[in-house]
Amino acid sequence: MRLAFILGEIGSGLRRNLSMVVSVILVTFISLTFVGAAGMLQLQINQMKGYWYDKVQVAVFLCVETSTAASCASGPVTDEQRSAIEATLETPAVAQYVASYHFESQTDALEHFREQFANSPIVDSVTADQLPESFRVSLVDPQKYEVINEIFSSLPGVEVVVDQREILERVFSVMNIASLVAVGIAAVMIVCAILLIATTIRLSAFSRRRETGIMRLVGASKAVIQLPFILEGVIAAVIGAVLASLVLWAVARFFIGGWLAQQYPDTAFISDGSVLLIAPGLLLLGALLAGISSLLTLRRYLKV
Amino acid sequence: MIRFDNVTKVYDQNSRPALDSVSVEIDRGDFAFLVGSSGSGKSTFIRLVLKEDRATRGAVYVAGQNVANIPSWRVPKLRRGIGVVFQDFRLLPNKTVASNVAFAMQVIGKSRAVIRETVPEVLKTVGLEGKDHRMPHELSGGEQQRVAIARAIVNKPGILLADEPTGNLDPTTSMGIMNVLDRINQNGTTVVMATHDNVIVNHMRRRVIELQDGRMVRDEAHGIYVGSQEGQPSTEAKESAL
Repeated sequence: MRLAFILGEIGSGLRRNLSMVVSVILVTFISLTFVGAAGMLQLQINQMKGYWYDKVQVAVFLCVETSTAASCASGPVTDEQRSAIEATLETPAVAQYVASYHFESQTDALEHFREQFANSPIVDSVTADQLPESFRVSLVDPQKYEVINEIFSSLPGVEVVVDQREILERVFSVMNIASLVAVGIAAVMIVCAILLIATTIRLSAFSRRRETGIMRLVGASKAVIQLPFILEGVIAAVIGAVLASLVLWAVARFFIGGWLAQQYPDTAFISDGSVLLIAPGLLLLGALLAGISSLLTLRRYLKV
Repeated sequence: MIRFDNVTKVYDQNSRPALDSVSVEIDRGDFAFLVGSSGSGKSTFIRLVLKEDRATRGAVYVAGQNVANIPSWRVPKLRRGIGVVFQDFRLLPNKTVASNVAFAMQVIGKSRAVIRETVPEVLKTVGLEGKDHRMPHELSGGEQQRVAIARAIVNKPGILLADEPTGNLDPTTSMGIMNVLDRINQNGTTVVMATHDNVIVNHMRRRVIELQDGRMVRDEAHGIYVGSQEGQPSTEAKESAL
């Protein structure tokens, strides 16, 4: 009975303030979409880190004819230098850091280059002897790149030691910035949402002051008087959160899964299942936002 | 049932107290008029009983309990034991007569069955049989006040407080309302009615507690009241109607 009554009150409250309720729904929808987008970006970064960090290597590039680096002043790498480098890789001091390594010859390098730039006209103008030979070293712990760098960059015949992780870090930092921007927008929108919810509840309390006045007089409990208002805000916010989750799911499914994954088949993307991780958080966040802001508002505007 | 023990209420430090050292006891089953001109402290008296305000000094006891000691979460329970009627009826315009009365039961969680049974009974007590489905605006002032009374007593409170219940009504209608209040009192409910309508007070010959500038100046068992007129219909008009 009491439940049915409270539900009825909520229904009439929502109808009475329809335009405000719609605006609460939209604002929470937008703000939570940004929150969720930031979350998905982070998930994507983690996914890519896991995927790429297993594959990244330290590349020890050897000198070629066209090298301009100071260490290559004496011309292209000689066979002795090459075997000296390989021998260094085998010494126990270095081997403890190395999971595996292989040698990439100039022909291999050209092949990879052609794969990578398959659609670019640059492929036709590049020849094998322009590309450096290299040792591709996988580390046991990718963080230990500095050790390898120190040992090999001073060896004769080595042009440069490159940590591929650094290239990835650059990509990740761009993504991190994007997710920070999303969080920043979300924060502003959340402030909007809180203020809007507070205003809505205030209006709602004002338009029903006759009812609440009578409720007070006949001895209705604080919960019965306040609950309809709080739930009104919570329901609107949760609807916004559901919409945000649906949009994120659609993005994951149709944009990331359907388009991006097809365009970049060798990149690991998050699946639409990851939205399941984020959606409960969004729902909870929406409900909390509305609950707290309406509680605070009611304390000021609805004396019991 | 209601006891004021040297109660003083000060709203504003710079002006005189709204109630000044008032001591009075109203027993269970009493019918008491609280008379005095506007600003004499009648409404403050009622607000203190309901714990809408806190006494500055002294203690207010309702049903044997010092209201100052009632924690805020128990205040609703205190108010369930007190029915209140106002000059301006305070009905919900978008609800029928029956729903207005039922509302008071719904909000304290009474079951649908109890509500269905009690509401027609109470409407009969106040003389509104057959008007269950009317809207407030379709009723006369007197009928609207009867709905308000029905709402105030539907939860069977021990005390009924009426703050100028006849203030907006003509003399004949006022007497009808007084009959309803009298009947409620005879059923055992303590009734406290704040008014400055001397015609009614003089006609009823009940206990009269007179306030003047916040001080209690008179407490008579079967008193009369010769107060100022304050926008009331003239005494003659009322008397001719009786």
